[in-house]
Formats: sequence, C-alpha cells, structure tokens
Amino acid sequence: MSKKSDKKAAALQKKATEKQKNILEMLKSHGAKIYDDLDGGQFPKFSIPSRSVSNIVYDKKLRQYILGNSTALRSSRNTSQLRSFTQLMWLAFFANRLTNEKKSSTLRDIYYSSQAFEIDFEDQSESDNIIVDLEAVTSRPREDFHIFPEERSSIFGDLNIEYTIPGYEGKSMNLSNHPDGYAIGPSLTTAELVDTSAEIVIAIEKGGLFTRFVEEQIDKKFKSIIINTGGQAPRSTRTLLKRLHDEMGLPVIILTDGDVYGEHIAMVIKSGSANAAHLRELTVPDAKWVGVWATDIEKYKLPTIPMTESDIKRCYDLQKDPRYLDGIWKKELEVFLRLKRKAELEAFSKYGLTNITEKYLPQKLELAKSL
Amino acid sequence: MSSIKEKFNQISPSEFFYRNRDLAGFSNPTRSLYTAVREFVENGLDACDQKGILPDIHLTIKAVDPDKPDPKPYILMVKDNGPGIESKHVPLAFGTVLYGSKFGLKQARGMFGLGATMAILYGQITTNKPVTVKSSTDGKTSEEYEMLLDIQKNKPVILKHKTKEVSKQGLSVSIFLEGDYSKAGAKIRDYVYQTSLITPYATITFDDPKGEKYHYPRIIKTMPKPPTIIRPHPYGIDVETIRRMIVESQFEIPTIDDAMIEKVRKDLGLSKKNLAFTAIMAKAKSRWKNLSRQVRVVIALMSFLKMDFDKLSKIRIEDIDVPNKKLFYWDFGDSQSKSVDMDPESQYYRQLTNTVQGETLTSFLNKRFQRVGPTTAVKFSEFAGFKPEKRIGSMSNQELVKLSDALQKFDDFMSPDPSCLAPLGEEPLEKGMRKFFNPDFLAVIQRNASAYSGFPFIVEMGIAYGGDISTRGIKVYRYANRIPLLYDEGSDVVLKVVNDIDWSRYKAKGDPPLVIVSHICSTRIPYKTVGKENVADRQEIEKELKLAIQFIARKLSVFMNKRGQAEAAKKRANLYAKYIPLIAQFCTELAGKKNEPNIQKILQEEKPIENE
Repeated sequence: MSKKSDKKAAALQKKATEKQKNILEMLKSHGAKIYDDLDGGQFPKFSIPSRSVSNIVYDKKLRQYILGNSTALRSSRNTSQLRSFTQLMWLAFFANRLTNEKKSSTLRDIYYSSQAFEIDFEDQSESDNIIVDLEAVTSRPREDFHIFPEERSSIFGDLNIEYTIPGYEGKSMNLSNHPDGYAIGPSLTTAELVDTSAEIVIAIEKGGLFTRFVEEQIDKKFKSIIINTGGQAPRSTRTLLKRLHDEMGLPVIILTDGDVYGEHIAMVIKSGSANAAHLRELTVPDAKWVGVWATDIEKYKLPTIPMTESDIKRCYDLQKDPRYLDGIWKKELEVFLRLKRKAELEAFSKYGLTNITEKYLPQKLELAKSL
Repeated sequence: MSSIKEKFNQISPSEFFYRNRDLAGFSNPTRSLYTAVREFVENGLDACDQKGILPDIHLTIKAVDPDKPDPKPYILMVKDNGPGIESKHVPLAFGTVLYGSKFGLKQARGMFGLGATMAILYGQITTNKPVTVKSSTDGKTSEEYEMLLDIQKNKPVILKHKTKEVSKQGLSVSIFLEGDYSKAGAKIRDYVYQTSLITPYATITFDDPKGEKYHYPRIIKTMPKPPTIIRPHPYGIDVETIRRMIVESQFEIPTIDDAMIEKVRKDLGLSKKNLAFTAIMAKAKSRWKNLSRQVRVVIALMSFLKMDFDKLSKIRIEDIDVPNKKLFYWDFGDSQSKSVDMDPESQYYRQLTNTVQGETLTSFLNKRFQRVGPTTAVKFSEFAGFKPEKRIGSMSNQELVKLSDALQKFDDFMSPDPSCLAPLGEEPLEKGMRKFFNPDFLAVIQRNASAYSGFPFIVEMGIAYGGDISTRGIKVYRYANRIPLLYDEGSDVVLKVVNDIDWSRYKAKGDPPLVIVSHICSTRIPYKTVGKENVADRQEIEKELKLAIQFIARKLSVFMNKRGQAEAAKKRANLYAKYIPLIAQFCTELAGKKNEPNIQKILQEEKPIENE
C-alpha cells in the first residue's frame, strides 16, 4: 500500500471513529438519564416522537414524509408500557455493544439475541418495531447502530470503493469485477465512494432484468451503474442511491414493473415512505421514474394481465397521497385505473429478449433528460 | 235431559282425575315417577312445617325387578318424621280423592292430599298393587294399612290393617308404580338436591334404584316462622268469591219446627202456658234484651203473621220479600201459599230485614277482609257509590259487580298482610348456599313483602361466586313456595330478569362461575302453565326480582372490584419485579457505570397491600 492510501485510510478511520463516538455518547447520555431516575427512586421515562398516522405529515420543502411535533411519553411506571420500555432499553444496550465492538447484526439476529437476556419478543415484527422506536428516539437510522435488514439488493458497475469497516479499512474494490453483482450490505453502505466512470445510475426492480442488463453490458453501453432494488428498495440501498447522487453527482433513474406497486417503489426511492417518516437522508428527490408507465403499455403494445382488486384499491389509496397529486404520478395512476391492466418488465420479451435493452431503454434514457 | 245429568253425576272425583291424569303430571312413566316423588316429599315437608318439626325425609326408589328394561315397576317409599295422621283418617286421606281444599289463605307447597292421591291412583292403575301407609301419631304405635282405591265409587278398599309397636312418630307411604328411572333419574336427583338447598333445616336422604345414596344433612336447626291463615285482601277478590263470602256471612231464617217453637216458648217462660198472640208479643217485649237472635227472628215473624204458637206450628215460612215488604208462607191446613204485608214502620221489620239482608257493607268489609278498618270501609263505600249502611244481602248482581270492580280500583287499601307467607329468611338461605357451593363470595336478600292483584308475595334471592362452583356461566335455581322449578325455564320471569342484567356492569364478564338462587313465595304463584314450572311475568313480581338481583349484583361488583384491584396490584408488582431489574442492568452498562442503581425504593413502593 502506498503512503497516500495509508493516509487516506487513516482519515477514513478517523471519520468512522468520530461517528461511532458520537453515537456512543448519545446512547450513554440516554442510559445515564435512566440510571439517575432509578437511583433517585423514580420510575424512568422519556418522550418519543409520535408515529401515529395523525403525526405523519408531508414536508413539501424536504419532499418527503416527516413526523410532526407531537410526542408520546413512555413511562416504566405504566405497566402496559413496561415491557416495551424494557425491550427498548435492552435494544439500546445491545446497540451500544454492537457499536462498541464494531459488529453488525441483522433484524433477525436482534430477535434471537434478545432471548439471551430474558427479553421476550413475541415475534420478529415486535422486535422490528422496537428498532423503529430506537430510531425515532435517537433520530438515527438503525444502520448507525450496526443493525441491518437481510440483504437482497445488489449493485454492478464501474465504481471504486474503499471499505471503512473493521478489518477492511482502506481496502478498495471495483464493483464491475463480479458479473453477479455485489450485495449491498453494511460494508458497502459505509464504504468511501472513490471514483466512477459512470454517468447515470439505473435502479431496476427485478433481479432477472438486472442479470440481463449485466449480460447486455448496459453498464458499458450507457456508462451506468446498475442497481437491483429487489422490489421495494431496502434502506441501505436507498442510502447508497442517495450517496451516489449526492457524492458522485450521478442522476438516478428507476425502472419498475408497469403496475401501481412499481410506481410506488419509484416514489419511495424518490421521497421516502410514511413508515420511515422519523428518518431523513434516505431520499433521492431528483430520482426519475422512467417506466414501465401505464401509458407505455399501450404505446409498446405490451402483453398485460388484469389488475387485481387489491391493485385497484392501492390506486385509490395512492390518489389520496399528496405526492400523487400532479405530474406523471397523477397521470399514470389515472391510466392504470382506466386500463385496469398491468404489465411486467419481462413483458418486453414478447418482442425478443433484448428488446428492452436495445429499444425501450435507450428511448427512456433519452426521455429522462427532459423529465 | 235427565239421563245426561245422571251420567254426569256418576263420575266420581277419582274417575275425573283418572281421566285427566296427564294434567296432574302423570302423562308418562318418566314424568310420573318424578311427579310422584315430588308429591310425597312435599307432603312430608309440609306436614313437618305445620307442626314445627325439623323434617327428616327418607326417599327410596327400588326396582321390583332390576333386570327388566325401563319403563318398569318401581317401589317408591317416602318416610317422614311428621305428626302422622290419625288412624281413622288414613283410609279417607289416602284412599279417596278429596276435592275442595282449605278455605283461607296461607302459603303451602301444595294442596294437601290431592297430588299424593293422584300418585297412588297412578300406581294402582299401572301396577294393580295396593298402597301401604304406616302412620304413627304418638311415636309408640303405628297403624298400618294396605289399601286399594275404588275408582268409580271414590272409596278406599282396605285389604289389611294392623297395629304395630314403633319407636318413632311419622308417616310412611309406599306405592308400586310404573316408572322410567333411567330417564327420570337426573331430574329426581336435581329435585332432591335443589329441595335440600332451599330447605336447609331438613335432612333429606335418597336411596336410588342403582344403590346410590344421596344424603343432605340438616344445615341449620332453626325453622322459619310458620305462616298464619288470614282473611283475603280486597284486591285479590272476584265477584264469585264475594258472593260466597256473603252467603257465609248471612244469618239464616230459622226453620220454624216443633223444636224451634219449644225453644221460643221456653225462652219466653211460656213452656206450659198457652197465651194469645198479643200476650205473647207483650211478654217478648219485656224479655227482649235476653233473647237470642234466633228467637228474636221468630218473634218478629209472629208479629207480622199475628199468630199464636198453635197456629205457628201449622205453617212454614216460604220467603221474605224485602223489596215488596211481603211475607210468604205455606198453610198446611189450607194447603196453599199465603202472604201478609209487613209494616216497614214496625220495630220488628228492621229486625227481620237485617237478618235477611245480612251485615252492612262497612261491617262486612271490616270483618271479612284484611287491611280494611272502619274508617277505610266508610271511605271505600263513598268511593264505590254505596251507602255505608247498605245491607250486603240486598245487593243485586249488578251491584255486586260494581262492588267487586270498586274493590280493585280503590287505592287506599294497605298492601296485603304478608304474615301468611313463609319465606326461608336471609340467614338460612345464606347458610344453605354456603354449605352447598362453598363460594368465594355470597350475598343474599329478602325483599319486603309486595303484592300483585291482592296476593302478597316475597322475593328472596342469593348469589354465589367462585369457590366450588365449577360451571361456567350463570346457573339459576328457581323456587316457588320452597318448591324447585325444574322444567320450562326458558319462559320464566326469573330467567328473563337474570338475562336482562348487563353482568359486565357488575364486573362479572364472560362466563363467570355464578349461582343465583331465586325464591318467590306467595299465597298464589302466577304460574304460566298448568305444569306449574314457570312463573309468569307479572309486572310487580318482575320489579321485585329486578330490585333483588340489582342489590346482590351490586354487592358482587364491590367484591369483584376489590378482588380485581388486589389482583391488578399483585400483577403490577410482579411486572415491576420482573422488568425493573432488567432496565437497571441495561442502563448501568449503557451509562458506563460500575454499580447498578438502587431500585429497591420503587419496588418497595409498589408492593401490593395484602388484604383479605
């Protein structure tokens, strides 16, 4: 390793250590307050931003959902809250250990780890919920506490990174070396983005199409980084997308199935979800949804399947969302409702396997410039 | 015409009941066995109650041939320790169907004798075997009869009669009858169980055909106050009853025969003297004060007839026509009916009409009814539009109807006298329920007496929760006049009231282990059907039941609240004890401290206060 890279690695490590220190400090101050309450003969309590529907508001300036001002008091005196209070305390305690020891853990790990401490989560959804509580109290995403969801999204393209995670500090990697792509996990999300020849990021909903795009060398043909979101994009993927946009200055386009769920996958990447209203820095407001649009179904004469009742209900639900009140978001929803039919990305295969990469994608990339 | 009348007259009461036995509960072997048990057990209990003897009832049912399938003949024997029945009355009491029952009002389980005789009759019809009655009134000798019933003649046929030495007083009746114990058994066992619950001062033993013994020993040694026979209340009376009461209250015009004339002569001191009419009248006037009513009436009659004793012996009084002021008589000498006018101004006229027309309305009401004093009687007369001195014997049919209607409508009568009722009482009810259910909670209430349509009634109720009660949901034991009601509960007013209660309001949610005992006692229970198993929803009774149940349910809710609070406090303490140490452990490491905080202070504070 060169001296220069040594220096850089040291800088990276310092930055990571700084962040870790902040988090540990914050957890410590929360813990100290609880400790003092107990020692003073008081039932400990704290307030937490309310995550009830009435407290989730759309912030036009931030272009995402955020939590309003109302807070809820959690008291250990209240027996109906005592259990979840303890669970949250345990989670903070466990996150503190994870952060201290620089170990990462999945949501499922958390669920099982709890059992060693007589913290009885009934199921993983209960432990997941407590993790969201911790995020809300600290206003930090769980990834900051080394807690990650199970990975299913991946990335491919000419992008050089340097790891910051323990044991890999300063080690670099080019993300076009392995044709199956790289899983987007904690090490990638926290890695330093060094440089890239790509000019655009293409986020695609499905693994099958991701493989096709790699095979067809879309990364080279269109100077792009390809990301498989694996359906609804996980937080880590959204974080990475945001970093690629903000730090590398890359525009982001999104390709989804031609249905209402696809449209919403694009929307969540662009402006977040109500579920994560307590967190910011997870959105790419400039990301563009380029297809498959409802209008494309007619334009490209795609084979379709009928919408189900829940598809239709979802359309009506989204029409109430303030983000769907104008532009293509509004228009496409209306067309979906008119057609009552939907088309998958694979539908292009009717016109040949490479039809989507050779005909559709170029047209959409061209179109994206004007969006 | 005459043949129909003759035929009708020939049906004896026994035959009538024989033909209508299903009305009395003897419709099939199952029901009949159950009804027979009831009749004999209730007779035994009633007999003891009336004499203030703590009852000791022994019921035995045995199959004649245990190997035969049901229905089959059974021997049913019920033995009590009551006063027994005098030997000479035994054949009539058990060998005939008596019709007509005691006049007067008093609460009793059943009408004496009727049901028991029906059971005997049923037994005889189905098995052709005699009834055996053993009665001892003195506890030394027992009169034992074996009898059959001559249904057509309604007469007992005594097959055997002997006298034996015994050591206990009481009555034992044993009959053979066709029954179905496999089907009736559950009901009979229920009946014995529930009867024991409402009769905690009795010992009841039941030996069943399968060799099982059900023994319910006496729980308390004091008997409830026996009821007294009382006069009827004006509200509970109809035209027909008034008519019967008037007939009873009137003085009859004495028959003027030789014996009567002899008595009059003697009272006037004229036994040996024959005086003329005017002389007799003068004599009577001088002795008037000392004359009996009967003699006075005869003198009054003579005053209008203007006859001496000799002439008087040759006539017979036919009628006294008060409205037309005429006196009719039959002259044996002339063999024809004759009449004389009565002078309304005569002092004897009043004597006569008063006798014929009975008492004044006010005196009738005052003397024959309960709750009617002289003042009330006058007030009522005005209300009803009658003169207070109106003679009741002079009332026309229309006036009687008017009187009867007014009696129902007059508001100022005090409510009926409940002294004719025999409620069990709160303490015996409570003790009985405690022994039977060993509950965690128990409350009883005896409501004050109330009345419907002139019939007094009292509602008693008890509620028990938890303990030995293993059934989920509310179990209601219904009683009327200390008889358990086992059939037709669906349409009963008690069930209606219980079901109308919102039990969650009383903190008894879900299917609480609850037992409710409801006892209505009245001189007349308003049964819905002839089967006498369900009480009709009379507004007044429903109201009393509701008040009773609300009272005990409120007590239940207080108990449940306390218990709930204690449980909640315990639960809270347990939760704190489990979680607070964990919080302490986690925050210690989180805060980077070495020692855990002192949590004893808050754990101590939340320790439940032990009560009960």
